Amino acid sequence: MKKTTKPAAAPAKAPKAAAKPKVAFFDFASCEGCQLQITNLGELLLDVLGAIDVVEFREAISEKWDKDYDVVFIEGSIADHHAEERIKKIRARAKVLIAYGACATIGGVNGMKNSFELDEIRASVYGKDFKLFDSTKTKPVDQVVKVDYYIHGCPVYAPEILEVVKHALRGLPYTVPDNPVCAECKLNENVCMYERGLACLGPWTKAGCNSWCVNNGNICYGCRGEVSNPAKNANDVISKYNLKPELIKAKFDMYNKCKEGAK
Amino acid sequence: MTEEIKNSNWKLRKGQIIAAKQMTATEKWFDIKLEDGDLDHEPGQFVQVELYGIGEAPISVCSSPTKRGSFELTVRSAGRLTRHMHSMGKGDWLGIRGPFGKPFPVKLMTGNDLLFVAGGLGIAPLRSLINYVMDNRREFGKVDILLGCKTPTDMLFGDEIAAWQKRLDVNFSCTVDRTAPDWKGNVGLITSLIPGVHINPEKTFGVVVGPPIMYKFVIAELLKKNLPERQIILSLERHMKCGMGKCGHCQIDHPKNYYCCKDGPTFTYEEVKEAKKL
Amino acid sequence: MNYHILEKENLDGFIKKLAKKMKVCAPVAKGHNNFAFEEVTSAAEIALNYIPTILPPKKYFMPQREKMLDFDISEGKPKDTATLEAPETAIFGVHTCDLAGIQCLNMVFSERPRDYNYLLRKEKMFIIGLECMAYCDGSASCALVGNHFPNGGYDLFFTDLGEKFIIHVNTQKGEEFVESIGLPKATAADMAALDKAREAKKAAFQNEIGVDAKKLPEIFAKAMESKVWHDVGARCVSCGNCTNVCPTCYCFDMADNVNLDMKTGTRNRTWDSCQFETFAAVAGGENFREERAHRQRHRLYRKFKYPLDKFYRSFCTGCGRCTRTCMAKINLKDTLKALAAEHK
Repeated sequence: MKKTTKPAAAPAKAPKAAAKPKVAFFDFASCEGCQLQITNLGELLLDVLGAIDVVEFREAISEKWDKDYDVVFIEGSIADHHAEERIKKIRARAKVLIAYGACATIGGVNGMKNSFELDEIRASVYGKDFKLFDSTKTKPVDQVVKVDYYIHGCPVYAPEILEVVKHALRGLPYTVPDNPVCAECKLNENVCMYERGLACLGPWTKAGCNSWCVNNGNICYGCRGEVSNPAKNANDVISKYNLKPELIKAKFDMYNKCKEGAK
Repeated sequence: MTEEIKNSNWKLRKGQIIAAKQMTATEKWFDIKLEDGDLDHEPGQFVQVELYGIGEAPISVCSSPTKRGSFELTVRSAGRLTRHMHSMGKGDWLGIRGPFGKPFPVKLMTGNDLLFVAGGLGIAPLRSLINYVMDNRREFGKVDILLGCKTPTDMLFGDEIAAWQKRLDVNFSCTVDRTAPDWKGNVGLITSLIPGVHINPEKTFGVVVGPPIMYKFVIAELLKKNLPERQIILSLERHMKCGMGKCGHCQIDHPKNYYCCKDGPTFTYEEVKEAKKL
Repeated sequence: MNYHILEKENLDGFIKKLAKKMKVCAPVAKGHNNFAFEEVTSAAEIALNYIPTILPPKKYFMPQREKMLDFDISEGKPKDTATLEAPETAIFGVHTCDLAGIQCLNMVFSERPRDYNYLLRKEKMFIIGLECMAYCDGSASCALVGNHFPNGGYDLFFTDLGEKFIIHVNTQKGEEFVESIGLPKATAADMAALDKAREAKKAAFQNEIGVDAKKLPEIFAKAMESKVWHDVGARCVSCGNCTNVCPTCYCFDMADNVNLDMKTGTRNRTWDSCQFETFAAVAGGENFREERAHRQRHRLYRKFKYPLDKFYRSFCTGCGRCTRTCMAKINLKDTLKALAAEHK
């Protein structure tokens, strides 16, 4: 079994954001759906806007800020050289960087690109002149620059956005739960997806979403990334339910393919 | 209906920091005054410190109950709460629950020789007892204090230690794992100091407080000196979240089902020798 | 106390009258042979023939997430107010295993120092038991721990006699309610029918592991180093399902939450699990129960060893939930049998 000698709940001290911080949103390879989650906060959005000063947000305002940022939200994964340069420049101007949404935190669905030879996938997307189009293996933000806070999920879960924002405003580290989704799912008293005959990634995926998908009748797709010490024997875990381990693995790759590229 | 809850062990007493001092890079000392009177603790007990909006953490009281009006904590920056606490200072308020836990068996120790063995931050809980003994010095026999720390700069309570060194009624020795240019004392593990101490096993209590790794070796040395298991007193570390023997976090893997917060944190070695980890 | 009779066709009236007085919760079918206690207003919603619910009724006594305190830090000195939400609640249809579970929790939380959040909430509960006439399924081990028959812990207790329920009234509160709705007293014939049903149960319910329950403390006393824990630990997912669904697991965590105004907030307690990796870790980095094997061992010692020494009763109620919920097929009965076999 893996030895975890890390302290229980002590990520590095996060830099403290200013009182009414200048906040910017940037998107990389993504669907921008996570930014829409901000606008979906509804009434709470007004409270959030009372606490922060949004200077760049392509989904709702157009304005260019040329000073440093107190907090930047990065949505999307880093999938070409240009993006790598751009994220490095943003990082240099940002006091606090928040990786926002599965594409940014773990690579997300963009990571499926890493299942193929790069040139092969480029050719299939861009045709015979693919070399004219810049492309790299997909990376989550923290494989390129330092990340201070993670808001996992596809899309991000609204109550967790608020939690992380509050932590960032107070300069406190936010600890993403490292227990499986089942831990929260059971508290919500959902009928286990395995009991319904469906393969669910809850047993391997980090909690913190309050089992949002399962509460709404869906399986867990693993969008929050794998827990740091997962159950090793998927075979045993699902043998009770007549499901193939390859099925679990394939489902997991949908969001978690970039894990293999981690340093 | 909430009266019972208000007056239960969940009650948060309000305390104000009346003095604070950075002791080392990782340890900070706080003197705290409760608005509703003394803490009324005994040596070896701990409190739950609540920083509103951040949470709670168990911290051992490092001052002796003979000191009235306020109590002291030495806090190592290790987790979220303690790291935040390091940014606090004089005038800041916090919530206090407790005192909790079984204290050192001061009454049993009366009339006996005492051997204190402290490693690292272990000096903090032990200081509540050492200062108590100093303030009641004539009640006890010979007193030896052995202190070990990583480097000379990690030493806590330097001024007090200097005073202990000068006292004629206390034998004090100290060792560091790694030396520094101006260090003139011992270098090596704390266990190396024990053979040099004269122990009368009939009437000596050995009180050992330090990191878990230290216990095994120090206890082995004390047993070699024929110190009976029930005269070896330890203070164990666990994450005591509620302080009431309920939340389950501090339970020790031991046939006797000890809760560190309620049955401890102080134990005799006889009581806990079957524990899977000290 | 008395025995009363409720014709089955009048169950709906019973529930409706009860619901006029207080919130009524009862087992409800969730599909896929899963059940949950939920609020109901009529008998039609209730699954009378149910296997143990996903979560036991402990969720009404110590909610999954519970607010303990409101605080305000807008001025230098913090202000706080203890809070308690405890509605009058009737829990209908509680099986004997779960009645035992509530009794266990009552012991834990009334032990000094008392936990008044639990105790005050408990006072608001009206508990109506329901007897199992046959095994729910093969996961249960209620006969092993003697929980297949009622051992108190209820205001009213229902036993199915075919066309009607015979109700044992165990408390004044229960008596007042059955009298208020005019339930007739049981006749001698009803009592004989009850005896007969109980007699039939004795044959149907047998020690499920073939090991005398009295032997278990001795087996556990010597099982600390058993290799069984490693077999179990190798499979464990550390998902905490087994403890969350356990009627006698009560470990919890406390956390503060600040509102967006950054000035007010709450202290909350949530269920925690000894199966989680960091449950026994301390801030300095030491983890006192790092191995899954040791965490699983700890879980069962908290059912079969520690509480027997302290409260003289098993904290396993035999409900079988931990076995049913485990995705990795960790089976309580098998584990006990393996420990017993090793002991020989």
